[in-house]
Amino acid sequence: MDRFALVAFWRSLTRHRLYAALNIGGLALGIAVFLVLGLYVRFETSYEKWLPGWQDLYLVGGAGTGAPEDAAHTQNSPVAAFTAIRADLPGTIGTRVESRDIAVVQNGVGVRERLASVDPDVFAVFRLSPVAGALPRSFRDPSQVVITARTAAKYFGSPAAALGGTLPVTSRGQQTNYRVVAVVPDLPDASELRFDLIAPMTYSESPADPAYKSNHQWNYNSVETFVRLPGQAAADRFAAALPALAARHVTNETPEVPDYRFAFNVRPIASRHFEAPGSRLMVATLGIIGFLTLLVAVVNYVNLATARAGLRAREVGMRKVLGADRATLMRHYLGEAVVTALVAAALGLALAELGVPLINASTGLTLSIRYVGADGVLLPLLLLALLVGLTAGLYPAIVLARVPAAAVLASARGPGGGRAGARVREGLVVFQFAVTIALIVGTAVLVAQTHHVRSADVGYDRQQLLLVRSYASASLDEAQRTDLLRRFAALPGARSAAAGTSVPGIGNYVSANTYEVPGVPGYGPSIEFYSVSQGYFETLRARLLAGRLLDPARPADRDPDLAQDGSNTNAPANVVINRAAARALHFASPAAAIGRTVGPAEGPRTIVGVIENMRVDSARRPVSPTLYLLSARTVKNGIAVIRFNGDPRAFLERAQAEWRSTVPRLPFDGYTAVQALDRLGKSDQQMANLFAIGSILAVGIGCVGLWGLASFTTARRTREIGVRKTLGATSNDVAKLLVGQFLRPVLLANVLAWPLAWLGMRTWLAGFDDRIALSPLFFVGAGALTLVIAIATVMSQSIRASRATPAWALRHE
Amino acid sequence: MIELRAIQRRYTSDEVETTALADINFSVSAGEFVAIMGPSGCGKSTLLNMLGTVDRPSAGQYLFEGRDLAREDETALAQFRARTLGFVFQSFNLIDELTIAENIELGLAYRRDGRGNRRQRVEAAMDRVGISHRARHYPHQLSGGQQQRAAIARAIVGDPKLILADEPTGNLDTENGAQVMGILDSLNRAGATIVMVTHSPAHADLVGRRIDMLDGRVVASVARQI
Repeated sequence: MDRFALVAFWRSLTRHRLYAALNIGGLALGIAVFLVLGLYVRFETSYEKWLPGWQDLYLVGGAGTGAPEDAAHTQNSPVAAFTAIRADLPGTIGTRVESRDIAVVQNGVGVRERLASVDPDVFAVFRLSPVAGALPRSFRDPSQVVITARTAAKYFGSPAAALGGTLPVTSRGQQTNYRVVAVVPDLPDASELRFDLIAPMTYSESPADPAYKSNHQWNYNSVETFVRLPGQAAADRFAAALPALAARHVTNETPEVPDYRFAFNVRPIASRHFEAPGSRLMVATLGIIGFLTLLVAVVNYVNLATARAGLRAREVGMRKVLGADRATLMRHYLGEAVVTALVAAALGLALAELGVPLINASTGLTLSIRYVGADGVLLPLLLLALLVGLTAGLYPAIVLARVPAAAVLASARGPGGGRAGARVREGLVVFQFAVTIALIVGTAVLVAQTHHVRSADVGYDRQQLLLVRSYASASLDEAQRTDLLRRFAALPGARSAAAGTSVPGIGNYVSANTYEVPGVPGYGPSIEFYSVSQGYFETLRARLLAGRLLDPARPADRDPDLAQDGSNTNAPANVVINRAAARALHFASPAAAIGRTVGPAEGPRTIVGVIENMRVDSARRPVSPTLYLLSARTVKNGIAVIRFNGDPRAFLERAQAEWRSTVPRLPFDGYTAVQALDRLGKSDQQMANLFAIGSILAVGIGCVGLWGLASFTTARRTREIGVRKTLGATSNDVAKLLVGQFLRPVLLANVLAWPLAWLGMRTWLAGFDDRIALSPLFFVGAGALTLVIAIATVMSQSIRASRATPAWALRHE
Repeated sequence: MIELRAIQRRYTSDEVETTALADINFSVSAGEFVAIMGPSGCGKSTLLNMLGTVDRPSAGQYLFEGRDLAREDETALAQFRARTLGFVFQSFNLIDELTIAENIELGLAYRRDGRGNRRQRVEAAMDRVGISHRARHYPHQLSGGQQQRAAIARAIVGDPKLILADEPTGNLDTENGAQVMGILDSLNRAGATIVMVTHSPAHADLVGRRIDMLDGRVVASVARQI
């Protein structure tokens, strides 16, 4: 680009402000969306990559095939797994991590923090760099603790002040006074690791230890096992050694399942974040939307630039006559596009800066833009602007450089790339609308599905239901649990209180057994079982389908063993099951299950009631077949549920105050059922929000582009309109003609977009157990909406052009 | 300077072939002022475009100082135009976004030589056509006559060997037309070779030689007796 080219370009931008605004604004918006969604994709794919040497870190999961989880997807492992690994594969660097909530006691009040109990090699696995103190090479001293900078600031003021300080911690009813030996940086958001304190594990390998038995059980997954395996070959060797290791160490602890087999899985730590079904697809989809939005903006530029090429033909012709060759002109117009893209990129960055806080607020993400450094956006943005400029400028540059000088200068008739050029433009408009329609369908389906998840019948009443998770604390005794439930029920606004191990949003304490059905050979289906207190069904407002609920007044309804230690029981008991269990047990109807006895001879269960499925877990997962046992006393490990009236926030505060005055040393952890369920759908909600934001902007950019295109095309056809009107066409005829020219691409776009959108959304919905139907209305509606948008944008232009007097139009050149 | 030998130009569109130029032979010597006349559609402008190398002959030879331009590639021709030719159009073809001075400087922009004394050359060119006082104005702020004088300044700023003018007075009133013809005449007297297409017999009679065309052929070539 020479000086004149720049000057002429700048002045043409300032003279044709609307054109400049459409062009640069559209491109800037496209770049902003691409940037923000790019940040999101980078954030999601950066999980655990902050750890030095993350490439060599692996998570070892394992489960028996008799267990409910599929062994391949289990991320947790039994304590015994790493013991066996150390015995059979000496020299393996690894650590178990058992994370749990503990209470840091400050001024007599417990504050909830997350403690990771680890093996001595932990800092060889996670090579954290301390901000204060030094990390022990072998972390064994049970009185030592390493804390995060945030924890240090909270309890000591600063990392330096925390060194050597004492942190009193209550956990499982025991108090430990930890001494702080090092402070590590806070864990980044892009991490599945969550802890505030790290302390050595106190598991003993001595058979005399009371914990010895559970530490050597293979059917109880309570820890995560991490190993550092340098190089792919070492990882392959490690994975290959595991089946033999399992065969050597695992004994079948569930003799009723004779084909029991324990299987390990090894996954790279970075892939762990994408374990949830559909999560990888979700991130990829948002990346694609960012790219499509950018593409739509580029298409806009191409459309507007080629449409306007006619207006610039004279300039091009003149430049050719003055001796500019084709290569010079190509460089010139590519240069213009690159400059436009650079300006747009700067503007897009500003838009992204403005948009990121809004997006963070609406999605709960913590995205931020860094300019320089390894994750700086400046350099990539510059490259992107160059690429966008070159892509967007190429076709217009070719069209312009091809302008035949002689013809243009003589006649002032503009080229638009001829008939082929019109085809290309129409093709681009079709593409733009196809993307738009597909995005509208996607947004509509996403919004409808997330709304459905939040409002659908879950089998109980989710409104005005408070959950107190800290009630499950092992530090509470029987008397305290009884007292707390009584106090909760007596709170102003409370209607009833109960406890159970299965409550909305919490999938902890999953236990399952196989229940054989009389008269059916084999071991029967695997059914989860939970213990509940008196009033549990009434408090949740579970719906009874057949039979009756469990009644503490009837001795046969009370599970005698649960009264002792909350563990599994072998005594006969009456139970309530859900609809899914009735189906899994092959009963023809809920009513047919009543009075039937299932399960093994040493622990028969007689079904007295069937309730509707209660969806306590994510809408993505099917409701498990479930069996409920009434605990004769309070429920150990249970979570309190309270039904209340009035404002949730006020009631939550009352419950918290009551808790604090009853058990001050234990931190309170409570939230409403609505909050708990929203948390389960959080990533889907995030995706829906991001998808909607991206789509709306892409649609907006597309409309702006169409509007610009319509205005230029209409301007170009002014003379034709004059001729038509001279020949007797009415304003109506002309408007119809102009609108009609844009209808064809929009209709064609529908044909292209519908199958793609259908396929995409069907795949996404398939990830949900509780899902809406993919109604044709979504497609027809999106098509109609784009049609209305197209007509509205083109109409305003057309009406003006069609109203012009023929004489003016004919003179117009 | 210029020799056209059996030049033909045919256009093919939608299976219909039209002949714009059929067997054109003539030559122009250095320092001549030639006017081409003829009715609309006779091929005048096509011939001028051919001379200006913005159009190529379908057959025949175009020799410029012995160089066969019909055989040269686009890039070479672009440089040829930049260094050797000056164009003047009926509709001026000034670039709207550039000032008059910038438009004139554009006449030097595509020459692959230094930037030295461009400013002086632009000022000299503006002086010669008498629009120095409009240097900072934009084309739309000028009258038609002033615009055409600016266009002439752009054509001559590079001291071209040949000036091609396509109906330079066609969009001007009589007085402005006479002024433009006066400028072209004085350029010719100063040594410039000029080929001009015109509809005006009065203007054609002012120049050294007149070529009449009809249906793509030269039908007469009349030198003015001085």
